[in-house]
Amino acid sequence: MRRLIAAALLLLPLAACGAQAAPGAAAASLVWAIETQPITLNPQQWAQNKVRLLVFNQFDALLSRAADGSFHPWLAKAWQVSADGRTYTLDLREDVTFHDGTRFDAAAVKANLDQFQVPGYNAAVAAIQLHAFDRAEVTGPYRLRITLKEPDALFLDFLASPYAGQVSPKSLKNAKDLKFGGPDLVGTGPFILDRYVQGQEIHYRRNPAYAWPPAGAAHQGPAHLAEITYRFLGEAAVRVGALTSGQVQVIEGVPATEVALIRKDPRLTLKTSLNSGTAYSYYFNTDHPPFDDRRVREAFRAAVDVDAVLKAVYQGTATRAWSIVGQKSPFYDASLEGSFGGDAAKANALLDAAGWTGRDAEGYRTKDGRRLTVREVASAPFVRDRRDVLSQAVQAQVKQRAGIDFQVRILDQGAAQKALDDGAYELFGNSRGDSDAGAALNLILPAGAAINRTHFKDPRVDRWLAAASATSDQAERKDLYVKAQRAAVRENAVVFPLYVPADQIAAHGSVQGLGFDPASGTPASAYDVRTGT
Amino acid sequence: MIKRLATGLGVLWAAATAAYLALLLAPGDTVDILVGDGPDTPEIRARIVAEWGLDRPEIVQYLSYLWRLLHGDLGRSYQLQRGVGEILAGQAGPTAQLTLAAAGAGILLAGIVAVGTAGRGRWWRGAASAAELVSVSVPPFLIGIVLLTVFSFTLGWFPVSGAEGVRALVLPALALGLPLAGVLGQVLRGGLERALEQPFAVTARARGLTERALVVRHALRHALIPAVTMAGWFIGTLLGGAVITEVLFGRPGLGQVATQAVSGRDLPVVMAVVLLSAVVYVAVSTLLDLAYRLIDPRIRG
Repeated sequence: MRRLIAAALLLLPLAACGAQAAPGAAAASLVWAIETQPITLNPQQWAQNKVRLLVFNQFDALLSRAADGSFHPWLAKAWQVSADGRTYTLDLREDVTFHDGTRFDAAAVKANLDQFQVPGYNAAVAAIQLHAFDRAEVTGPYRLRITLKEPDALFLDFLASPYAGQVSPKSLKNAKDLKFGGPDLVGTGPFILDRYVQGQEIHYRRNPAYAWPPAGAAHQGPAHLAEITYRFLGEAAVRVGALTSGQVQVIEGVPATEVALIRKDPRLTLKTSLNSGTAYSYYFNTDHPPFDDRRVREAFRAAVDVDAVLKAVYQGTATRAWSIVGQKSPFYDASLEGSFGGDAAKANALLDAAGWTGRDAEGYRTKDGRRLTVREVASAPFVRDRRDVLSQAVQAQVKQRAGIDFQVRILDQGAAQKALDDGAYELFGNSRGDSDAGAALNLILPAGAAINRTHFKDPRVDRWLAAASATSDQAERKDLYVKAQRAAVRENAVVFPLYVPADQIAAHGSVQGLGFDPASGTPASAYDVRTGT
Repeated sequence: MIKRLATGLGVLWAAATAAYLALLLAPGDTVDILVGDGPDTPEIRARIVAEWGLDRPEIVQYLSYLWRLLHGDLGRSYQLQRGVGEILAGQAGPTAQLTLAAAGAGILLAGIVAVGTAGRGRWWRGAASAAELVSVSVPPFLIGIVLLTVFSFTLGWFPVSGAEGVRALVLPALALGLPLAGVLGQVLRGGLERALEQPFAVTARARGLTERALVVRHALRHALIPAVTMAGWFIGTLLGGAVITEVLFGRPGLGQVATQAVSGRDLPVVMAVVLLSAVVYVAVSTLLDLAYRLIDPRIRG
């Protein structure tokens, strides 16, 4: 019986996935289990960082972006920015065709840019990423001039983002579900989307004509894989089981609890990459007590032993954050390292000084008979990476070490938004996956900015961020962003950085060429992926 | 028959209205949902309000919702930006398959175990009863993980995910059907045992009928009414179980559409799922009525 089971163990995983898994053979197809279901497959509607890997299978952007923040050619082979920062001239590749056979040219790029001006197409992108956009003019078959209303350092980042994924103008007109995308929304990418089953899988086949990979790709010409299937497996334990039993060859989203298991298995490989954008941080609401007092904000940070908390929750797989901006970003300010956290004595001294000297029956600090209570509001659909457990660990620490009553409320999106609108919170957690951390800072720090939920106001910071947006000199931008980070993290203590979000890929040893998108740190498209040794 | 139809329509209208009111009264508003986690400025909000017609009075929005419903137009999903009818059409099939298979598996298992153990010795009954208790009280999520670990990851007999072919249906149907089998088995055995103590059973035994034949030919009919009532109620709840099962097994279906829609407050999709469940309830209760008449001739009339 035992031998029978052993034999079954060896044979059946192979049988289960049929021809796809024959190791060593010229297996040119792959099954990859992913965690997140796409809300949309239209790159210009893209909102989930975790589906970048799908977007860039089917679509190419105009530029590509390297890990150091520099820009490189993709569908645009060259570009020039005028001295006043308001005119961009793009020279396009002349050998590119869409999957539907239509030619990629300057008129197509203009059609894509103009699409964002259609009311109701993508209000958020029109108002944020394209706020400075004025007009695009075709000045030659493969040459285009874009005029901005004002200089915008983030415009190049837009050209390198999924939003600049080029869609065939014909399909922009004819697609059945334009905003959702799907097989009839056509791109120029290395793979052609040919099947999508909501809740189950998405299937691509190779684009045999592909010859225009972004700078930095590991090879030229068509993709190695003839086809690739992404299965949606939302449950982490099921993804890992599917991988170890050979039913899928690659998974992303490996929970901390399974990392050791995968590292121990000699047949499997594990890669991780920090995400770009902002670190997962707590932001303090400085609008009302108790966090209107800088000493209380600092005391909260000092009360938490962040290393111990991260170790307990993520079993040593999380990277501690020291600033709003994550370590992956070229704008990260390393001088903030070691500047806060893990000092209970300091926390208590600060709270004493701030007047929270009383204690109630449950051991919480009080002032004028009021308990030192702070509330976190979180929206359930955006709670990931066990952030609820992280909150509980922080809750235990601030209670034990400083007598702070930290209440964690996880609500549905409508209720959470209402609490945020009403200011019924003292603390909220947030991370952003922007490939340019400056974009996130613009949304978080300036007075009255879209997600300035700290109500932090500092005219200097507003000036620095505006200046950084107006220049495309990367060194100058870094100087300005460093100043802004120091003001928010060290001088004003309005933010409590916790950890830098990361992505993981686990795969069978026979799968080569897996990697991460240098701009975002999330898994890259399947263009360079191959099987066999 | 016309009365039944009218009642059915009334139930549907009540369900649609209740869902509408519940979502209207819940905290936060629709614009918040559509803004999502993204940037949030007055300009973006204004554009969204105009695009979705959210500036009209609520009563107008409600009436136009009912009007469109009457014309078979379920509206567009806020989250997925597609027609709701189209989303559900693609997902209803796999869910129907799953719930029917689960109901079939549950009823079959319950029938076999109950008929096999009714009136048997204490040990048999105890074992069956314990198994039934476990299958009812363990969450379907856990049953699913255990089934996957044993039969998919370790033995490799069944694929982990997908909705193609019968093999992919076995584990999810079992995960969903086992609690049904547990509840039904208990009720059915109780009914059988009560029937076996009735005077007609004594008469039948006296005529020389074997115990097995007695159970199958006579007692079963008596035990079926409470079991069918129970099964009807349980089949109505299968959609709830399908939510977990579909996500776990990576299957397409209404369950995962519904969870996504509820947590994202995707109004049109939530309403459509509520309506669809109401349709299922009406259909199941109608079928139950028919079933009673078939089982017990005294109800016919």
